[in-house]
Amino acid sequence: MRKAKRIATYTFLSVASIVSIFPFLWMLVSMTNKSVDVTKGRLLPGTHLLENLKALFDTVDMGTALVNSTIIAVITTFLTLLIGSLAGYGFEIYRTPGKDRVFNLLLLSMMIPFAAIMIPLYRLFGGLPFFGIDTLAAAILPTIITAFFIFFFRQNTKMFAKELVEAGRIDGLSELGIFFRIYLPTMKTSYAAAAIIAFMNSWNNYLWPLVILQSPEKQTIPLLISNLGAGYSPDYGLIMSAIVIATLPTAIVFFVMQKHFVAGMMGSVKG
Amino acid sequence: MMKFLYWKKTGLFLLTVVTLLALAACSSDDASGSSDTGEEPDKITAWAWDPNFNIAALELAKDAYEEDLDLEIIENAQDDIVQKLNTGLSSGSMKGMPNIVLIEDQRAQSFLQSYPDAFYPIGDYFNTDDFAPYKLAPTSLDGKQYGLPFDTGVTGLFFRTDYLEEAGYTKEDLTDITWEKYIEIGKDVKAKTGKDMISLDPNDLGILRVMIQSAGSWYVEDDGKTVNLVDNEPLKKAFENYKAMIEADFVKANSDWSQFIAAFNSGDVATVPSGNWIAPSIEAEESQAGKWEVAPIPRLDLNGAVNASNQGGSSFYVLNIPGKEKAAEFLGATFGSNEAFYQDLVLDVGALGTYAPAADGEAYQAENEYFSGQSVISDFSEWTEEIPSVNYGLHTYAIEDILAAEMQNYLKGKDLEDVLADAQAQAESQLK
Repeated sequence: MRKAKRIATYTFLSVASIVSIFPFLWMLVSMTNKSVDVTKGRLLPGTHLLENLKALFDTVDMGTALVNSTIIAVITTFLTLLIGSLAGYGFEIYRTPGKDRVFNLLLLSMMIPFAAIMIPLYRLFGGLPFFGIDTLAAAILPTIITAFFIFFFRQNTKMFAKELVEAGRIDGLSELGIFFRIYLPTMKTSYAAAAIIAFMNSWNNYLWPLVILQSPEKQTIPLLISNLGAGYSPDYGLIMSAIVIATLPTAIVFFVMQKHFVAGMMGSVKG
Repeated sequence: MMKFLYWKKTGLFLLTVVTLLALAACSSDDASGSSDTGEEPDKITAWAWDPNFNIAALELAKDAYEEDLDLEIIENAQDDIVQKLNTGLSSGSMKGMPNIVLIEDQRAQSFLQSYPDAFYPIGDYFNTDDFAPYKLAPTSLDGKQYGLPFDTGVTGLFFRTDYLEEAGYTKEDLTDITWEKYIEIGKDVKAKTGKDMISLDPNDLGILRVMIQSAGSWYVEDDGKTVNLVDNEPLKKAFENYKAMIEADFVKANSDWSQFIAAFNSGDVATVPSGNWIAPSIEAEESQAGKWEVAPIPRLDLNGAVNASNQGGSSFYVLNIPGKEKAAEFLGATFGSNEAFYQDLVLDVGALGTYAPAADGEAYQAENEYFSGQSVISDFSEWTEEIPSVNYGLHTYAIEDILAAEMQNYLKGKDLEDVLADAQAQAESQLK
């Protein structure tokens, strides 16, 4: 009986994992095939890998796009974490009148779809002198303050022992000192989890970079891939190679931080 | 205590400096940016999609242009260009907008009418009479010519000679036929070869548009606004043909572009009625060389319907920002009047323009080995001149979404009159 149950469990899990792995497998296999074979649905590895990669690096400036995406993602992640955690910490630790009302308003802002604020934002950046349209800074700035991360850090701060704050104050640590020297090191797992989410969001962000970045040398990876698929006769082998390369950094970030990620997410649920 | 204060000050200071430096590194090199100042910029930018087609055509034009012009050609996907233009133009700030932009003909009116002052009339920079009339209606507004017609979306019936032969048909049998005849042949081909006749995407009614334009009709009337579905005779015929095709069971369904391409690359369908731009995708499957030919597109069985129609096709527009004269001069001297350039366009890019004087050129007569030695370009160019002119109006794709849903009801057995009446009512209430 118990064995039967086990078999059932493993069968189900195997099927589920095949279903979720299949797209990745298909992506990797397609990377080695000619476009014609990809559209025909060939599932066996082919011999066209080097040709695809060569064609990819010949036709588009993959290097520049990777550098741009990396700059944007790293700075965005750093600033998002800094601002989000400072705000989340502040909301949880300090007692201010009307604090919860402000926080609720902030949460409400999560309901507004980005498309709704895109046009005003574009107008705003059109009027800025140094961070204007077609700068990487303009691609970064609107994405660094998000209600989600403030919420995330506030939830996580609930687990943080308030006594440590008291202890820090008694020992004469400044408020920022407490944050940077006590809070930050103890909340490492939360930061790791948030870093993965922020990095992935930024890496895959499409709509805002699309409208705000104009010149080819500012292009990010998702924009480049979108261009590749736009022709009347798209080369699917080449597109798959680009997608594999674009997926690698997020995969690496995830695997490096996986342990912390799980711990951090557990924390936010428990809180 | 002192140490903490020290940390607090320097730490925060350092953090601020690093952040500002990082952001500054990402800011622009020059504060001026593009427009608004009213000064003539040195650089002209152009937005277009598809590196092998439109971008290649622009590059060629840049080489052919004799004046000294710093033209930057920027590649974006078509949907991305639509998104970027809409955002930029609705924000009212023309900053970051290009000087030249390529817009698909069926979308053009919505841009011209929604943003009246955003585009620069370029009718004085070329002779409009040199271009196929069906390209002029969608690219102009209130008597002013805004677009410089580029590629034709002239349709043809691409077919597999071997499959058709096996079923006992020659090119003659497919030339100048009606869709009814096409369906008849399709049934025969399916019965004798087991191959499907056509591949269709249930969510894309492109074939319907091809059918109705061949009879000079569209989803809207000539004013481009009045919804014209309920008493639209060509549309009724098109619906009937569509249903007949589905019921004849020779339609291979596809759900996206790659499946559509796969349908003919893998030899599953016998014909591809489509815009001429599909040719490179067909030619990509080298093993089928010599097995394809192109016949004129079938017509609707109605008076005045012709064996020529249009699918896709786009034109160049100039935005009303500094640099507009330079941009318009460039377009006028290349796409607007250079016959030799059009020969290169056909030879190097395979792009077929709608500039009539170019049609007599040598490159147009060349025989295409892949298509069994047929002079494909010359044929397409001939059909281009017969395409009936219609006003696509503003709402082609919005109306088509409604029709796609109603089409499913029709296929399930709903009465055709009711189907079109319901679609008309929906479209009217939605587009008010």
